[in-house]
This record gives sequence, structure tokens and C-alpha cells, in this order.
Amino acid sequence: MNESKPDDDAGTDEDMICGLTADERQTLARELRALPDTMPPRVVWTRIREQAAAEGLITASPLRRHRNWFAGAGLAASVVIAVLLLPAIDDDPAPQFSAVPQGELTNSVPLNVLEALMVESRELESELRALPEEPRVVRLGTQATILELEDRISAIDYQLTDPEVQLTPEEEEIFWRERVRLMKSLVRLRYAQAQRTAF
Amino acid sequence: MSKFADIEIDPGILRRAQRGDARAHEIIYRAFASRVYSLSLRFTRVPAHAEDLVQETFIEVMRSVAKFRGDASLGTWIRRIAVTKALMFLRSAWTSRGQSLADDWDEWTPGDNVSHGVSRHPDDALDLDAALANLPAVSRTVVWLHDVEGFTHKEIASLMGKTESFSKSQLSRAYQRLKPLLEDKTPLPDAEGVAARSY
Repeated sequence: MNESKPDDDAGTDEDMICGLTADERQTLARELRALPDTMPPRVVWTRIREQAAAEGLITASPLRRHRNWFAGAGLAASVVIAVLLLPAIDDDPAPQFSAVPQGELTNSVPLNVLEALMVESRELESELRALPEEPRVVRLGTQATILELEDRISAIDYQLTDPEVQLTPEEEEIFWRERVRLMKSLVRLRYAQAQRTAF
Repeated sequence: MSKFADIEIDPGILRRAQRGDARAHEIIYRAFASRVYSLSLRFTRVPAHAEDLVQETFIEVMRSVAKFRGDASLGTWIRRIAVTKALMFLRSAWTSRGQSLADDWDEWTPGDNVSHGVSRHPDDALDLDAALANLPAVSRTVVWLHDVEGFTHKEIASLMGKTESFSKSQLSRAYQRLKPLLEDKTPLPDAEGVAARSY
């Protein structure tokens, strides 16, 4: 297959009789090329991914790895919170006051910004998963927006998980903040979509 | 130029795909899916068949991309796979109907939508799409391969297991059917009358 070859045999093509002038042929070719392309339904990619995974053609999706990582991060955060709150629910009445100075405790209780964003992102993922499946009949505008949001989230995940991309903590925070913002929009849209389907 | 050739994929993405990275494959899929689907849909006219062909094409891409050396562009390589898959499908469809490629026109009768496919108001791309859809499958395929994807008659003949004359004949007959669409569209010949030569 050679991109430049069609012109090479133009001389041969000229010999045939097909009733079109050169201009007509050019017009036809131009208009055929201008016909719009259509994306296949999203389920096609899902099927491809499933088949590819079953055949061992692809490694685990970074998004999936990321979700596992969210779970890990969430679990770690839960442990941190549990450890910090443990004194408050301890049945032992003896230590009425923490041995740790109050000032130090307040500094250590909140998760740092990055961890908080990760946890929030994970919670939004859970909310999203809890919503009903997308309806078969969807509003085109809503669906386009949902796809756009999913694409942008995937792009962020790609940046966050690409080992070749070195992010500073500040950049990482920007990405996570943007991810949370997009996830919130996505959850809102999907929630509205689910409500419309329900009625 | 082929509709596939104007899509460029970052070499880094390609390398990741060659290592089986799911996300890289998704990026490639998103870049080319509409091209593959549209080509398949124009060949088969049945969305479900086109979806299957998209799946087969991208699974083949995943299986073989590690061997892709970049002698041609990735788009050209994917197009080759898509075309081969689509032609194999058409061959099997024709075979299962007990037809050969040659008697495609013999079987052909104008569809109900030809009357509006070959429109007297040819500004609408839908008219061309409809007219194309109403051609016999072999001719439609030849038109698309030759005029849109830039294959030569020799290449088309090789792909279809036929002669160059067969390809030219199919194209010629298709042009005759599509000619009414073009009559109001082509520019007047220039002063030298260069473009007025009939093929």
C-alpha cells in the first residue's frame, strides 16, 4: 500500500471509459473523503478490552491499577484516621487527656492536601460506581459531555501513572485537584441522568 | 491522501502499546476507531457487522503491533488490517450467499432510497452517502478503496483476488451511477479546457 501510488497509475486509469470528467472525478473523490466519520458505540472498546485481557494481549489498565491504588490510599487514610481517633473511642477511662500536646495533634490530624484529594477522588469513584448503569437511550449533549469528562479524567490518570512523567508535588496536586473537580462534574451529570431514567 | 494517514501517534505511545500497555492501546483505538468503523460500515452497511470488524481489527492490532517496524505509518498499517478484515468478511458473506464477486452487479437492483440518493439537490453529503450505500457492495468497496483510501487498481485487484480490469470496470460502473450527483457541482472548464477531458 503506497500513499502516493494512486497517482502513479493515473495514466492507466485514464484509458478507461466511465463517463466522468477529470473535474467530476476530483469532485467525487473530494466529497467522498469529506463524508463524516462515526465513532463506534463505546461498548465496542469494552468488548475489545475484555477480549484482549482474556488473551493476555494487554497489561492491566493504569486506570484499573489506579483504582486499586485509590483503594490502597483510601485504606491507608482510613488507618491513619482510625489511629488518630482511637483514643476518643477507647473504653479505658484512665487517659482523659492525650499525652500528645494539643498543638501537635491538630497539626497531624488533617490529611495533607494530596492525600485528602486522593481520598475524595476515591469516594467520588465509589459514588459513581453506585449509580445505575448508563441508560440505553441518552441525550446526545449529556452523553457528549460525559465522554469528554471521562476522556479528561483518563488523560489525567495517564499523566499520574506514567512512569516516564516526573511530576513535582505541586504539579501532582494540580492534577489531583483537577481530577476531583472533573469527577464531581461527572457524578453530577450521571446522577441527573439516572434521575431522568428513573422517571 | 488516505483518511488514516493524517493521524499521527506519538512514538512513545506506540512503544507503550508494543509493550501491551492498555492505556496506550486505548489512545490508538480512540484515534483510529472512527476511521475503521466508518470504513467497515461503508463496506458492510450493517452497524453490527461494522462493530465486529472494528473489534477484529483492533484485536489484530494488539496481537501484531509488537512486530510493527514503522516502514509505513501506523495509520496505513491499521488501514491495511481493517481493509483485509472487511474484505474477508465480505468474501464470507458473498460465499455464504453462493455468489461470487463478479455477479455483484447482476444481483443489484436500485434500492428504494436511490431516488433520493441520487438527488437533484446534491449539496447534502447525505445524498452522496445514500448513493454510495446503494451501490453493489463490490463497487462501493472499490470506489472507497480507490477514491478515498488511495489504493491503486493493482492493489485493489490483489486484495480482492481479481484482475485490474475487474477493479476498473467496477469503478466505471459505480461512477456512472454517481454521475448525476456531480453534474451541478463541478466547476466550468478553465480557459485552456484542460479539465474537460472525459475519462
